[in-house]
Amino acid sequence: MSEYVEQSLEVKKKGLASRPVIATIILIGGIIGLLLAIGISVSMGAAEIDVRTVWSAVFQYDSTLVPHQIIQETRLPRVIGAALVGASLAVSGSIMQGMTRNPLADPGLLGLNAGAAFMLAICFAFFPGLSYLYIILFAFVGAALGAGLVFGVGSLAKGGLTPMRLVLAGAAVTALLVALSEGIAIYYRINQDLAFWNAGGVSGAKWENIKIMSPWVILAILGAIVLSKSITLLSLGEEIAVGLGQKTGMIKLFGTLIILILAGSAVSVIGAVGFVGLVIPHITRFLVGYDYRWIIPCSAVLGGVLVVLADLAARMVNPPQETPIGALIAVIGVPFFLYLTRKGGQPL
Amino acid sequence: MINKPYISTYQKNRHKRKVYTILIILFFIFVSFIISMNTGYIRLSPLQLLETLIGMGTEQQNLTLFEFRLPRIVISILVGMGLALAGCVLQGVSGNPLADPGILGINSGAGLAVVLFISFFPSTSDVPVMFLPLLAFIGAGVTATLIYVLSYKRGEGISPTRLMLTGVAIAAGISAAMIILTLRLTPENYQFVAVWLAGSIWGSNWMFVLSLLPWLLILIPYIFVKARVLNILNLGEVTATGLGVNIEKERLFLLAAAVALAGSSVSVSGGIGFIGLIAPHLARQLVGGKHQFVIPASAALGALLLLIADTIGRWFIQPSEIPAGIVVAVIGAPYFLYLLAKSKA
Amino acid sequence: MPTLAIDQVKVGYSNLIILDDLSVEIPEKKMTTIVGANGCGKSTLLKAIARILKTQKGAVYLDGKAIQLLSTKEVAKKMAILPQSSQVPTGLTVYELISYGRFPYQTGLGTLKVDDLKHINWAIEATGLNALKDRSVEALSGGQRQRVWIAMALAQDTEILILDEPTTYLDLAHQLDILLLLQKLNKEQKRTIVMVLHDLNHASRVSHNLIAMRNGAIIEEGTPKQVMTRSNLKAIFDIEATMSTCPFSNNPIYLSYTLN
Repeated sequence: MSEYVEQSLEVKKKGLASRPVIATIILIGGIIGLLLAIGISVSMGAAEIDVRTVWSAVFQYDSTLVPHQIIQETRLPRVIGAALVGASLAVSGSIMQGMTRNPLADPGLLGLNAGAAFMLAICFAFFPGLSYLYIILFAFVGAALGAGLVFGVGSLAKGGLTPMRLVLAGAAVTALLVALSEGIAIYYRINQDLAFWNAGGVSGAKWENIKIMSPWVILAILGAIVLSKSITLLSLGEEIAVGLGQKTGMIKLFGTLIILILAGSAVSVIGAVGFVGLVIPHITRFLVGYDYRWIIPCSAVLGGVLVVLADLAARMVNPPQETPIGALIAVIGVPFFLYLTRKGGQPL
Repeated sequence: MINKPYISTYQKNRHKRKVYTILIILFFIFVSFIISMNTGYIRLSPLQLLETLIGMGTEQQNLTLFEFRLPRIVISILVGMGLALAGCVLQGVSGNPLADPGILGINSGAGLAVVLFISFFPSTSDVPVMFLPLLAFIGAGVTATLIYVLSYKRGEGISPTRLMLTGVAIAAGISAAMIILTLRLTPENYQFVAVWLAGSIWGSNWMFVLSLLPWLLILIPYIFVKARVLNILNLGEVTATGLGVNIEKERLFLLAAAVALAGSSVSVSGGIGFIGLIAPHLARQLVGGKHQFVIPASAALGALLLLIADTIGRWFIQPSEIPAGIVVAVIGAPYFLYLLAKSKA
Repeated sequence: MPTLAIDQVKVGYSNLIILDDLSVEIPEKKMTTIVGANGCGKSTLLKAIARILKTQKGAVYLDGKAIQLLSTKEVAKKMAILPQSSQVPTGLTVYELISYGRFPYQTGLGTLKVDDLKHINWAIEATGLNALKDRSVEALSGGQRQRVWIAMALAQDTEILILDEPTTYLDLAHQLDILLLLQKLNKEQKRTIVMVLHDLNHASRVSHNLIAMRNGAIIEEGTPKQVMTRSNLKAIFDIEATMSTCPFSNNPIYLSYTLN
């Protein structure tokens, strides 16, 4: 069978595989689930607060009540931060997988997170006391640095970007950037400040961060939804996308920009957490089919749910200590990755 | 032998050149050895060094040199050799030029075993040092078996791609497990583990040298003897069978040897990656593809690299120091990326 | 009894049986070529003979002994194998690679003894690689590399030479070049050669004995004149061929063909 016929068959299969009804159900169910998870997460913690108090703390805030203060000052920003981070990582993962046609693409595995964390280390070492807005900007630059290195090296090779090359380049770039960050941390004695980012956790999220981060994230996710149709076509193969009249260069440029914004802002809040961007898009694709118009919004919601629940678990596993959220997600992520590796290349 | 009319002068010279190359590397190790003895917070001039070496040093000089620096230097050399040979064997057996005990997660498996042990028997002061390499070997062995089983598919066997990807995933999983485990630790044990993970040559006393030495004394000669087999395994399964190599058996034993080398080395040095990747590659560039030369050259280069890395780490920010593992990663990762960019498949 | 006999073998991969109850004898000191359509089991038969695939039933006999029971090193002294494609190791000269053929005779660290050197030099001479012996294997062309692999098999000093499609990926001139080299080895050294070839005309031209297979069974076996007939080609490949005679070997060849 000629390659062209094979590819057009793939198009047909994928066209049939989109399931709008299920997707709508998942989207609505996911949003309800997300709100529920947020509610539960806010009410659970060192001080148990019942759901009614949570409700009144959000909608009839009374600054004289201690439970209201706890909720408003520490728990809410943390949970909303978790939801935003989850959505960002999941959407950036799904765009990466669609654009590169690589089932193993994930901002954590491909060096973006390590790059952002590296820039944070530089930030703390050379410009201590920087405002959060600049920290976020540094994180973008770092994510771009990591991604640039991984994709640059991967595509330099003869035969181009194979999944194995990308993952190996990601592992090596991560090793390099982590080593550099550690070196900087030791040299400038900022281990403590950085330890938090290396382990990953949303406990540091504050309203100030959320205010700066959320417009970026929301705009980027909206941008991703606008781009989603083109990403679907791109996921069928570059040639087909060009043949269908897509400006693939522009799409890739915007897609990359969105990935960097999302991964950078996620890392600036949560630190180096991998596998969200790997697992969620795969599950979403399995549920809703191959149309990125559905994959992207559904990934965003499901990613939010995952990280909110993981954060809840991180607080519950071993109280009063917090288990690093990155480690918890890896517990789900590693077997999933192994499963994908065994299954081999599946269409995206 | 007088009667050797069959071998061309070119081959003879090629042979000689390889031997000289290895001798030159050994000379560099010697030079680094001397520089390394001079490097550290307490400075020893070459003269003082000489005095101390022949037994005329002050008490402080004796302590610095014999109890801190020398064991550390010796360990760097031994660990460098162990890791380099582990990588050399893994690359030869798997047919994958990018195989490395660090990337494949074998080092982290060894690390996990050590950390597990420390977290359940927290009195580090009397951790039986001789016991650590064995522990690490078990950890590394379990991990290697797991990677092997997970990347094995019936009817297809082991594909190098799947092997590498599985290794990367297992390494990620182990480091997650390690982060969770470290939370159980007391502050001083936590410090110990953190330093260990960064790959510092922390075992700077003669006990560690003694605990590592028997492993190397058995495994390195074994690998030397298997040089011929590694040559043939490099030609692919069918050719190797045709030449009379019992592939399954040789592979199993060689892999076990590589895992034991990596595990026991890592148990005293901590998580040092990339040596097992760089040293064999450089060795092949310098002395060609025959394992009779690649093996000694890799061992020497591994020792040299780690010795230099440890010395740089000690010299860079005195009185504090950068773990050798970090220095190696900063040099090694770009080299790995370079090889990856050059790779064909 | 011939040196190589295949007796009622059953061979396959985990649950796919490719050859079942197949028996054939390979004539000594002759060139035997296995031909057949894609997927007919010819490579599988060759791999079974070469002990790369284990037989599930029956056995391959080498000098009257079941090959699986012999030590693999002993077999390697009697039988050399050239796979369809070989990994080219990095950083080796032609000479060094050919010297690897002496593996079954070496012990310890593998220093080459006078006897080894003799065989290596003879193999280089016989394959005409003298001018190339100090070159790096990676720098060679496809045809030159195939010669090096053959030289390595010759250095192995075996009575039997097994080759799986030795001419694939080579252009017309180099294909013939390799086949004539094998023919010369057979004639001068009296080596038994067993190979798989895709090109029927080449097979007919150089072989003493052809084994034609289809669906895991042997359809016809004998001299090229017996096997290369219109009716056999129809039975093996489902083609209608116009036949002729090779002016160089006087064996039958096909001129052209259509699908049946």
